[in-house]
Amino acid sequence: MSKGSSQRSSQPRKQKSSSAIAGQKRTNKLLLAALFENACDAIAIIDDWGYFIDVNVAAMQVFGLPGEALVGCNVQDFTDGALDIEQIRGHAQTKPKSLGELHLVCRDGVQRDVEYTLTPEVLPHRHLLILRDISGRREVMENELRRQRQRVELFSEVTLKIRQSLQLKEILQTTVTEVQRILQADRVLIYQVFSDGTGKTISEAVLPDYPVILDMEFPVEVFPTDYQQLYAQGRVRAIADVHDPANGLTDCLVEFVEQFGIKAKLIVPILQNLNSHPQNESNSQNQLWGLLIAHQCNTPRHWVDFELELMQQLADQISIALAQAQLLEHLEDRVEARTVELKEVNRNLQQEITDRMQAEAALRQSEEQLRLITNALPVLIAYIDDQQRYRFNNQAYQDWFGRSPAEIDGCHLRDVWGENSYQKMQPHVEAALAGHVVTYENDILLNNGSPRSVDVTYIPDVDDQKTVKGFFALTSDISDRKAIERMKDEFISVVSHELRTPLTSLHSALKMLATGRLGTLTTDGQQLLGIADESTERLVRLVNNVLDLQRIESGEVIMDRQAHNAADLMIQATEAMQPMAHQHEITLVTQPADILIWADCDYILQALTNLLSNAIKFSSSGKTVWLTVEHQQCTNPEHNLTHPSPLTPHPSQPAPLPTSAVALFRVRDEGQGIPADQLERIFERFQQVDSSDSRKKGGTGLGLTICRKIIEQHDGRIWAESLPGQGSTFSFTLPALNGG
Amino acid sequence: MTTRRILIIDDEETIQTVVQFGIKMTAGWDVLTASSGSKGIQTAQTEQPDAILLDVMMPEMDGIATFKALQSYPETEQIPVILLTAKAQAAEKRQFNDLGVSGVITKPFNSLDLPDQIARILHW
Repeated sequence: MSKGSSQRSSQPRKQKSSSAIAGQKRTNKLLLAALFENACDAIAIIDDWGYFIDVNVAAMQVFGLPGEALVGCNVQDFTDGALDIEQIRGHAQTKPKSLGELHLVCRDGVQRDVEYTLTPEVLPHRHLLILRDISGRREVMENELRRQRQRVELFSEVTLKIRQSLQLKEILQTTVTEVQRILQADRVLIYQVFSDGTGKTISEAVLPDYPVILDMEFPVEVFPTDYQQLYAQGRVRAIADVHDPANGLTDCLVEFVEQFGIKAKLIVPILQNLNSHPQNESNSQNQLWGLLIAHQCNTPRHWVDFELELMQQLADQISIALAQAQLLEHLEDRVEARTVELKEVNRNLQQEITDRMQAEAALRQSEEQLRLITNALPVLIAYIDDQQRYRFNNQAYQDWFGRSPAEIDGCHLRDVWGENSYQKMQPHVEAALAGHVVTYENDILLNNGSPRSVDVTYIPDVDDQKTVKGFFALTSDISDRKAIERMKDEFISVVSHELRTPLTSLHSALKMLATGRLGTLTTDGQQLLGIADESTERLVRLVNNVLDLQRIESGEVIMDRQAHNAADLMIQATEAMQPMAHQHEITLVTQPADILIWADCDYILQALTNLLSNAIKFSSSGKTVWLTVEHQQCTNPEHNLTHPSPLTPHPSQPAPLPTSAVALFRVRDEGQGIPADQLERIFERFQQVDSSDSRKKGGTGLGLTICRKIIEQHDGRIWAESLPGQGSTFSFTLPALNGG
Repeated sequence: MTTRRILIIDDEETIQTVVQFGIKMTAGWDVLTASSGSKGIQTAQTEQPDAILLDVMMPEMDGIATFKALQSYPETEQIPVILLTAKAQAAEKRQFNDLGVSGVITKPFNSLDLPDQIARILHW
């Protein structure tokens, strides 16, 4: 090294004398040797493989070996191979120096951290290694880091404790307690500043030896507003000794603090950001809320940065807690307001529930009354929903079916009545659910096998939207009535039959007497015989009519309806009545038309001859009787019961024809006419305008009743119109098959 | 009109009498009488009348049963039978015709009209 530097420096001095040069060289050598031996850094010359060639004192200390022991050792033995000399030499052209840190394991057992500088080829195959021990410096840094980590842990520990509570009082108490513990201060307190400048200690942690100043209030003089201004701007004061005039404390203040034995104090402001206050949005200034103060009472104290920092950080935490407390308060206000609202809602709900319960109780009572009333009736009363299930039924059901109202409730009609009865009910049930009032009679068999005749009425339950929700069903037992009707029918039938045989004998005997071949009667005798004969004929007609009527009414007769031409029937009827017309000197006019009607021709002939016979009987001689027919498109719903309008009675036997066309027959006479108030009554049995007149005409009083029954059985209508003095018109309709 | 022999079977004696008198008086035909179905069958077998008037409603053996019995014997099956009935329903008349009777005369009738009615029914 010394040679290298002399070579470089010798170049510009070639002109100097050789003695001067020799002297200069010696001086340099001595200087270098002194520098080498006394340098603080360890200096070593190593060869290409790392073996020490020369070392200074400092190097001996670093490696922990005397010089003679160190020379011949390899530097790699101490660095655990970390120093790659060959590589450094290889890069010598581009990188004249190699710098770095090494960890040395020395022979005296000590481990050291060193900085190194390796300058290769200072002389051929000689390399300069300079090492500096940095172990001490590192220890200091690590201690500092450790301390800082402790503080951070402390901060977070205190912060966590503070944050665990939402109660401001608790937070403040935790803060003073923790600060007192960490700082080992004699007293730590929080002083709250009020808007009028006064203040009060609201939290305190103090050692037992010193006076308590908690809850103590201070006048504005102790803490003037200009001071407050300074703190509001963030001033922090660390006073090591209150008596030190450099602190600039006024005498009165020093005196004031002395009464509490205060020697040193540390003050940080607790600020409140006014921004969080909605009323002061324009003002972004911080307001001084209070102070966090630490006191040292026994001796003066130099406050260190860490302590200052801790105090400041905790004061910030308190600021946050203050803001949160405000939010919490706001939240609590809202919760309170909402609670009031909810209570109100709750009260309303309670009221509603009470009202509803009362309404339900009233409904129950009403239902109970309804049940009592309906249970007392011998009629089956029920409400059936649109799924054909019972929703209400009275006690009578139990008497009929042996199942309690509760058992029947919810059951389908089919399950209650059985398949056979249900089959008969089904079309009527469907009509009721289509919105029609239905009345019909039915013969059913109860579960116990006993037959019943019932009269049934279904009344649909239609809501505001015209939807059928179900129907009310009234079913009464008409078995007794039916039995009596059957007995009556049977009686009439038997009597009529039994009357016929003696009538035949009577009739025939009188006719034979009237021939005169069994002997001649006197004139009076002949007259009496004539009366007997006429009365017998009338009796025969009466018996025939009674029997006809009974048969039609009892349903014993089923109309054998087929398609017939109205014209044929009209001609037949006219031909049959022609002799009678001739006898009464009446002109019979018929205007037949080809209209296909759906009828039992025997019965329609009976009706036509009956009406013609009446017209002839009640016309004076020389008058005319007309029989006409016309095709009509029916507009009167009464004529067409195939599609009954809602809420009109549904026929028990719907007409088979889906047509609304009718044949309208008319029998018109020029007789005396019928008073308007009699027009309807004449169709009732034994009702005639004048009964004496009727007897004179030989009527039975049943003819028109039979006509009405026949026409009704054909789904037609019969009625009379009359202008008294000018004549009468009897009209009836029958379903027509075509357009005429 | 040739002379005919008519058998009337009816439990009512008055009917037998008026029928007999009426037919004799009007047409001069012979009229045989029987007061029950079984007697009527015997008379028909032995006397072979030209036609039988048979009452439907009779005790023991009614008109229908009597007619079926008459149909079952070869010696009487050819004799035309006209029923006398109080049942005048058209449907019933058809039912009787379906049995194979020649005709139906409804009570009450005038016995003086009987020869005409019988002749019309049997196409005499």
